Amino acid sequence: MRRRAFHTLALSTAATLVLGGLGAAVLPAEAARGEADTLSIGGSVTEIVYALGQEHRLLARDTTSTYPPEAEALPDVGYMRALSPEGVLSVGPDLILSEEGAGPPETLEVLEEAQIPFITVPGGLDAEGVAAKIRAVGAALGVPEKAEALAAEVTAEIAAASARAQGAAGAPKRVLFVLSAQGGRLMGAGENTGAAAIIALAGGVNALEGVEGYKPLSDEAATAAAPDVILMMDREGDHAASAEELFSLPALAVTPAAETGALIKMDGLKLLGFGPRTGAAVAELSAMLYGD
Amino acid sequence: MLQARNITVTLGRAEVLHDIAFDAAPGQLTAICGPNGSGKTTLLRAMTGDLPHDGRITLNGAGLETRAPWELAAIRGVLPQASALAFPFTVLEVVEIGLSRGRSGGDPEAAMQALARVDLDHYATRPYQALSGGEQQRAQLARVLAQVAAPVAEDGPRWLFLDEPVSALDIAHQLDVMQIARDFADAGGGVVAVMHDLNLTAMFADRVALLAGGHVLAAGPAAEVMTSETLSRAYGCRLRVGAAPPPGTPFLLPQAAARAAD
Amino acid sequence: MVALTDPAPGARRAAAPPSRLARARRLHLWLALLMIAVALTSLTVGATGVQLWDVARSLARGEELSRMERVVLFDIRLPRLVLGLAVGAALAVSGAVMQGLFRNPLADPGIVGVSAGAGLGAILAIVLGGLLPPALLGLAGGHLVPLAAFLGGWASTLLLYRVATRRGHTSVATMLLAGIALAALAGAVSGVLVYMADDNQLRDLTFWGLGSLAGASWGKLAAALPIMLIAIAGAGLIGRGLNALALGEATAAHIGIPVQRMKRLAILCVAGATGAAVAVSGGIGFVGIVVPHLLRLGSGPDHRALLINSALLGAALLVVADMISRVVVAPAELPIGIVTAVLGAPVFLWILLRQRGVVDL
Repeated sequence: MRRRAFHTLALSTAATLVLGGLGAAVLPAEAARGEADTLSIGGSVTEIVYALGQEHRLLARDTTSTYPPEAEALPDVGYMRALSPEGVLSVGPDLILSEEGAGPPETLEVLEEAQIPFITVPGGLDAEGVAAKIRAVGAALGVPEKAEALAAEVTAEIAAASARAQGAAGAPKRVLFVLSAQGGRLMGAGENTGAAAIIALAGGVNALEGVEGYKPLSDEAATAAAPDVILMMDREGDHAASAEELFSLPALAVTPAAETGALIKMDGLKLLGFGPRTGAAVAELSAMLYGD
Repeated sequence: MLQARNITVTLGRAEVLHDIAFDAAPGQLTAICGPNGSGKTTLLRAMTGDLPHDGRITLNGAGLETRAPWELAAIRGVLPQASALAFPFTVLEVVEIGLSRGRSGGDPEAAMQALARVDLDHYATRPYQALSGGEQQRAQLARVLAQVAAPVAEDGPRWLFLDEPVSALDIAHQLDVMQIARDFADAGGGVVAVMHDLNLTAMFADRVALLAGGHVLAAGPAAEVMTSETLSRAYGCRLRVGAAPPPGTPFLLPQAAARAAD
Repeated sequence: MVALTDPAPGARRAAAPPSRLARARRLHLWLALLMIAVALTSLTVGATGVQLWDVARSLARGEELSRMERVVLFDIRLPRLVLGLAVGAALAVSGAVMQGLFRNPLADPGIVGVSAGAGLGAILAIVLGGLLPPALLGLAGGHLVPLAAFLGGWASTLLLYRVATRRGHTSVATMLLAGIALAALAGAVSGVLVYMADDNQLRDLTFWGLGSLAGASWGKLAAALPIMLIAIAGAGLIGRGLNALALGEATAAHIGIPVQRMKRLAILCVAGATGAAVAVSGGIGFVGIVVPHLLRLGSGPDHRALLINSALLGAALLVVADMISRVVVAPAELPIGIVTAVLGAPVFLWILLRQRGVVDL
């Protein structure tokens, strides 16, 4: 027994030493940070930082910040609603820019204790909201003029795209946003979702009325929604679905969309991020809905 | 003294014991006999405080319900019919569990002595679960013996309640175990045993209570209760009680006879 | 004495063989050392470069600590370490007590409905917490989810105890069955709530279910630590009783154990320890089941030593799991429930495979 106890002790000591080594190995290099001082949390905020040409300020990002592709080279501090306090501190930010909804509260308390400025960027599911986000990020990074210009540009782009869509022939089309069709079960977007907002901006009508948020759909509800077009995020793996597979589902087989084979796939962050690319997203979506 | 009066036990909706009276004295081995389902074990379990019952039971002059579990444990040990063990304790550890609340304290020698008494001391470090059924029964008896320690203490006699203590044993160990019970009674302790084997009962018991259908059919000295007529009534079949002839008298068993023609 | 197994009279040893209990008690010391070693390592390891030794040196020289050092060491690592030790000990001891009470080595602290109830409480708070009047929310002080989880766990345990207790006797089998029914009911209600939840709430639910010590703070500790410590200490009192219970409830009573009182104490302790642990750290699996099992294999089933050893090893193990969860994907971190499951499940399977030859479960 005594020998076994020794073994456990030796083993565990070895393990903890290895762990300690690992811990030391993953420590980010303190040197060469240059002007970088900012941790950006939330895909749209990171995008705005890049759009403002302030990417040299970025130290790290969260898991949802995947655009532009260069952003993915930055250290990832985890999912924005489950941030680890020491993980955030370890990248040594002097400023944290975050979308609404970062957490958990305990982590935010520790960051406050550490006296790191934490700026929550207000959002909204329309042109105003995007502009407000851009201005807030610009103000925080000390480039308000650039931000003003970008906000104006994006607002104008959204307005133009919207206006073109409203006047298009055949409008409005009924659009059903399908979040996932895993195992033949549809998850659709109801009211008060980013998807519903972008569909409206692009001159469409959200086919799923009277439902709040993203909800699983019964086959009959999907049929009753009678969408002219199915909108999905362009992604890999299990959530991906080909038009053929999708329209062979009983829920969608007898919809107008199935008859014309109308399936639109768009980049998820671009479509639902409500960031600098939202104008382009609206233009792209309306072009696919109604033609140029 | 163990005195039980007006004992009525209801299990579910069925009344299993009807207004039973039962006595046992220290210094004696009192057997409870009767056919299957007659209520033997139920009566024993009522008297060890395991079953809710109507009526009154006193042990050494005080009502069962007035004593805390550890007070009862100090004056009586109970050997159940079958015991399942949940974790891989060794035989010695099982016996020591019995010691933890009894009067003899945590004396490891007492546990070994009890094991030696039931002829299991050489198995002390074996896992209990690796023992055969009969060996487990003897190990449990050792636990009970270790718990009560001595047949008599300053505050009065100690008691053993045994539920079919020899049911799983070979004949040699049946005799051993009955002798342990007999010795305990002879030394002044009280023994109450539920018995199936009428021959062993006749050999070792001072008194017998014969149960049938939840009633006491007969109670008294073994020789008076164990008659052909009473036993036939209790068990519902015709039984003939025999008696060995006095020593020195030759006798013949008819089963051993064979016809010359064969 | 004619048994064939009977050795020659001269060969008989009356002396008691060396006891496993004494050996298991010597293990206390080793496990305590292990726990201390792990705890010190845990204070040193982390995503930031703050080193315990540097801080100790600065303190010894009477130098002022930097803000970073102070926050990392005293607001992040220390509360997290204390919480990890307490939660690990609470879960492992609860597991040992439940296995003793249910006389089944596969019993889990969750078996008396604590986890199901706590989970339901947490989901209620996450999804519907926003609907509460602001005054009440203010009272919960931002700790609505742990509070609701603790109350949920406590309420479901009391309910099960009520259901299973008749005429002053608690049937553990009834409790087990009622627990299954309650878990199914809680699952159904959770399903409804999940349906109602929005995207963010769904994410929160997922992370809560995977467990984490990341939310450790002195405020949470002040509420949860006393409950866990009292419950662990209470469980320490019933080692003898649990040993006796291994022989069955009737025999335990014959030996002199006040069985009903002991059951009540055991259930209260588990509800307190597990309830508080789950409330502050979410769903952390396998510690409660693997730790006592491992110790029973190594040093025997005597609960007098097993409960203490479980507390020590459980504490050490959870802190190691937490270190892994902090380090492998730093600066992000893995939910600790994933780490304990990844470590625990193979160990558990290995135990079962090894045991298959010995006892058929």
